This record gives sequence, structure tokens and C-alpha cells, in this order.
Amino acid sequence: MKFLCVECDAQMQLQEASSATGDGGKLSIVFECPSCSRQFCMLTNPSETQVVTSLGVRIGSADREPKESKCPFGEMVDRMGLAESPSGLDWTPEASQRLNNIPEFIRPMARKGIEDFARAKGYRRIDLEVLDEARERFGM
Amino acid sequence: MKQYDDLPGDGGSDILGQVVRQQGRIQKSLAGLRNIVAVASGKGGVGKSTVTLLLASSLQRLGRRVAALDCDFNGPSLARMAGLQNARVIPGERGMEVPRTLSGIGILSLGGLIPEDEAVDFPSVASGDSFTWRATREFTLLGDLLAGTDWTPFDLLLLDLPPGNERAFQYAEYFGPAAVFLLVSLPSAVSLGVVRRSVASIGKGRARLIGYVLNMDGYRCPGCNSLQPLFRQAAGDELPVERLGGIPFDPALSAGCDSGKLGGTDAPAVSEVDEIGRKLIDRLEVGDSTNASAAGSER
Repeated sequence: MKFLCVECDAQMQLQEASSATGDGGKLSIVFECPSCSRQFCMLTNPSETQVVTSLGVRIGSADREPKESKCPFGEMVDRMGLAESPSGLDWTPEASQRLNNIPEFIRPMARKGIEDFARAKGYRRIDLEVLDEARERFGM
Repeated sequence: MKQYDDLPGDGGSDILGQVVRQQGRIQKSLAGLRNIVAVASGKGGVGKSTVTLLLASSLQRLGRRVAALDCDFNGPSLARMAGLQNARVIPGERGMEVPRTLSGIGILSLGGLIPEDEAVDFPSVASGDSFTWRATREFTLLGDLLAGTDWTPFDLLLLDLPPGNERAFQYAEYFGPAAVFLLVSLPSAVSLGVVRRSVASIGKGRARLIGYVLNMDGYRCPGCNSLQPLFRQAAGDELPVERLGGIPFDPALSAGCDSGKLGGTDAPAVSEVDEIGRKLIDRLEVGDSTNASAAGSER
């Protein structure tokens, strides 16, 4: 969807967007004409917001840190006690990077599996060697 | 006054750009695969997952490095059938590593990650309206799995699709010519009638329909070893695409599914499945050479 300032024949530019999960899924997105500085606000209802976020995109800016989780199984992850929490185990930056390279919704399950393995082995720190050892152990 | 195509981007969120970049990540992730074969059917309960796993074993016996992705997110069954219900997920150098069966077949199924008493339930700001967005969300999930998984150990990926002609068509549009489609039907007139529509649906897209397999294609009499029909078959029941073969019903098959021991050379109906596997590879190779010469002529 694109917006055009009819008077200036110029493309309206996004100024700010509220969180897609705030206000019950109602979203407000402010656009401004770079030529005449007129602003308008696009307001969406929860269904409209959901249709767009189902594409896995971030509304407002592609670079903006998402306030909303992309995890499709968030409630289940909470129920299973897999949500991010201090585990007492250190992940090295390299190991964390590997974890961040897998689909976001699988990370809590992957993290728990690796940490269970590390605890059973008496490790306090998870590095690439521990990941490789887990890989061997689980027959990948 | 300017029109849609005159305006670069969308003025901020770059929604289209985000979608295109994800498509690029998916293409890069799948680039090392020689073939993607979608096992589909308009009819539910015809044994797509069983055929997928049996074919995976057969194709591996024939020298291919095979993985299967369970695309039925709402009713995943491959993990249980392959004995990988408690598989661990390991983050590897190039993404998530695919859990493997003892024989080395890669199986990625949400059934190995989500307990069976949990529904696959996407959080939403629009509760009660899932019919408007859920299919989109599931294809986004599919894209995340394809892009975030390390497929490099494999050269052939089987996709075990959810049932339904609308799904088959959506997947055909999603993958386009990157995937070939193999249909599964029972030999009953009802099942073949529904799957005939799958042929018509997939034929509208750019994906190649490579043929079909009849599952539960008779059963072997334990007394005389003759093949007896399970369903009434009439002339004209065949589908308008090549029949790659039939797999007889065998109680040992369903027992193997339930116990997670479907693979291996001791599996029931192994000779029939291997015959289908050989034909599939032959047809894929014809497609490979056609694609290669088409690509050559384009250059």
C-alpha cells in the first residue's frame, strides 16, 4: 500500500507507527507529505493488523526491533516453561549467534535442549564445542 | 497524478521489500537441493505421510540424500512415524540442523517439537477472525522453516503437504517450478474423483505434476499371496497423469507408522515402493535435463 499527496503529487512518507500488539491490535501509522508537510494517520482494526503481520513483516520499519514476538507458539512456550529466563549458563557470542540463526519460534526449544544437555554434562558455559558435542550425542 | 508503479517503496515500512528479502533467504537456503518433491492430495487420509516416508527410504536406497519436511503444521505426523518424536533441535553453522532417523533420513516435523496435546495455535490480535489470516501465517511459518534450516546435507527434499485441493494449489503457487508434485490417492472412485480435481488445480500453476501413486492398492492374501482389491475400480477411474505405481495395504505398514519404524529395507511393500522410487528418479532426471537445456538456451 502506498500513499500519494494529491495536491503535491508526492509520495507520503511514514513518520511513526504504534506497536502492532498494543491497543488490542489497533494500529496507528502517521504519514507526512515531504513537500507540504501535511500529515494523515492510517488507523487499522485488529483484523487488518493481523492480516499484514501474518506476512512475518515489521510494520513501521524493517530495521526496527520488533516489540511483538514472531513466535507462533508463544503461549505454549510459556506453558512449557521454555520462555527466555536466566538459566545460569553462559552462551558464548559464537554459540548465541548460531542460536539466533535458527527460526525464532524454535529457539526456546533448541535452547532448552542444549542447556539440559550441558547441565547433564556439568558444563556451565555453552560454546561451539558443546553444540558440536550435543550434535554428536543426538545423532545429527 | 502519479500511479502505484511511479512510487518507489511504500514510504516507510518496506513491507514488499521485507517479503522479497525473505524469499531471497529461502532461495539461498534451498539452492543446494537438486529436487523438491511435494507429496500432495486433495483428499485427506489417503496416506500422504506414509507414502512420503516410504519413498524417502526408497530414494535413499537408490542413492539420494533425502530429507522430508512435514508441512502439515496442524496435524504433523512424520516425527512420530519416523521415531523422532523427542528429537532435539541443534543450531548449526548454517541454520537449524535437521534431525535424522537411524538410517540417516532427515525429518523436520513440528510433531517432534510440539507435544501432541498442544494445538498449533498462533497468537493473534484478531481473535475469532483466523479465517482471514491463518493460511498466510502458516506460509510465513513455512518460509521461516525453509530459510532457517541447513539443507546442505541433502539433495532431495520431500514435502509432506496438508490435505485439500486448495492447499495443493497454494503450495504449487508458493513453490512454482522449484517443486514437482506427486499426488496420492486411494483406488476408490471417491478418492480418485477428488484427486482428479488436484490435477486440475495444480495444472493451473507453474509447478510440474510428475504423476500419482495409489496407496492401499489392494492387499496381499496371507494364504495364497495373491493381490486382492480393497476398492471397486472401474474403467476410466485412472487420473490424467502418469501412474507411478501402487502400494498394497499391509497391516505391518500401519504398525510401522505407529511404532516409528517405517524406514528400512525390511519395510512392507518395499519392492513396490522401490519401483515407484526408480520411476520418480527417472522422471526427475528428465526434468533436470530439460531444465538444464532450457537454462542453457536462455543464456
